[in-house]
Amino acid sequence: MKVEYINPFVVAAFNVIESVLGEQPSKGQLSMRPLTFTSQQCNLMTGVVGSIEGQVIYGMSLTAADKIASTMIGQPVRTFDQLAASAIAELGNMITGNAVTLLSEQGWVCDITPPSIIRGTNVKINMLNIPALVVPVCLSQGTIELTVSLRERGG
Amino acid sequence: MGYIWRNAMGKRILITDDALFMRVTLKNILTKQGYEIAGEATNGRESVELYQSTKPDLVTMDITMPEMDGISAVKEIRKIDSNACIIMCTAMGQKTMVMDAIAAGAKDFIVKPFQPEKVLDAVKKQIG
Repeated sequence: MKVEYINPFVVAAFNVIESVLGEQPSKGQLSMRPLTFTSQQCNLMTGVVGSIEGQVIYGMSLTAADKIASTMIGQPVRTFDQLAASAIAELGNMITGNAVTLLSEQGWVCDITPPSIIRGTNVKINMLNIPALVVPVCLSQGTIELTVSLRERGG
Repeated sequence: MGYIWRNAMGKRILITDDALFMRVTLKNILTKQGYEIAGEATNGRESVELYQSTKPDLVTMDITMPEMDGISAVKEIRKIDSNACIIMCTAMGQKTMVMDAIAAGAKDFIVKPFQPEKVLDAVKKQIG
């Protein structure tokens, strides 16, 4: 996977998080993911289709998901209900949407698919044959791991 | 299915977004300013159906949704009512998407994340 695909996601994540959660996150160390890896406790999956295709996964702990959803909703999340799940999904949707807008400015025109959330421990995710890069985005509520697995269509 | 609120007073707005969080957020922003919610649709098809049954003054429309996307829904609603007032409200801000939405008949385009004032300015510009 080309490293330049991940930069728009980092820029979009910082912009969206600053706007939605009102804080400036910090960036952790960029690394490669093995094709099969153990997921975080809460994983938001969004798809990218178009001249670039693949998956973007936003992984976080259940505690971080609760705290982030609480900030977005404006009141404490006691159980991770439909509204909390929707808030987390929308955060990922906005980051992916904004990132895809940045990618389009570089000539890669893509669309995104509606997000879905997978929660649970010891879930194995296999990215099939698209290598993935991961960037931790650190917030006061916890860390969101951006796993970006994209390739040019037909590539 | 979305649900319908009916009230004869004030301007009525149909919210279309597959995300519950976004529908709640938009509803809070709009009702605090005295707008009434004509209905909430969770996809484009529901929005078209609710447009016909509720005849709102304005529609907010997401783009990426299951069943029917927002741009297809704008086209369908404009077939029913060529004067329909629709504002796109989406995380997708690329030029082609904006141009497609405007060509389909959308009156304005707001990119998420947005500040409440941005939504209210766009709504006021269209329906006061």
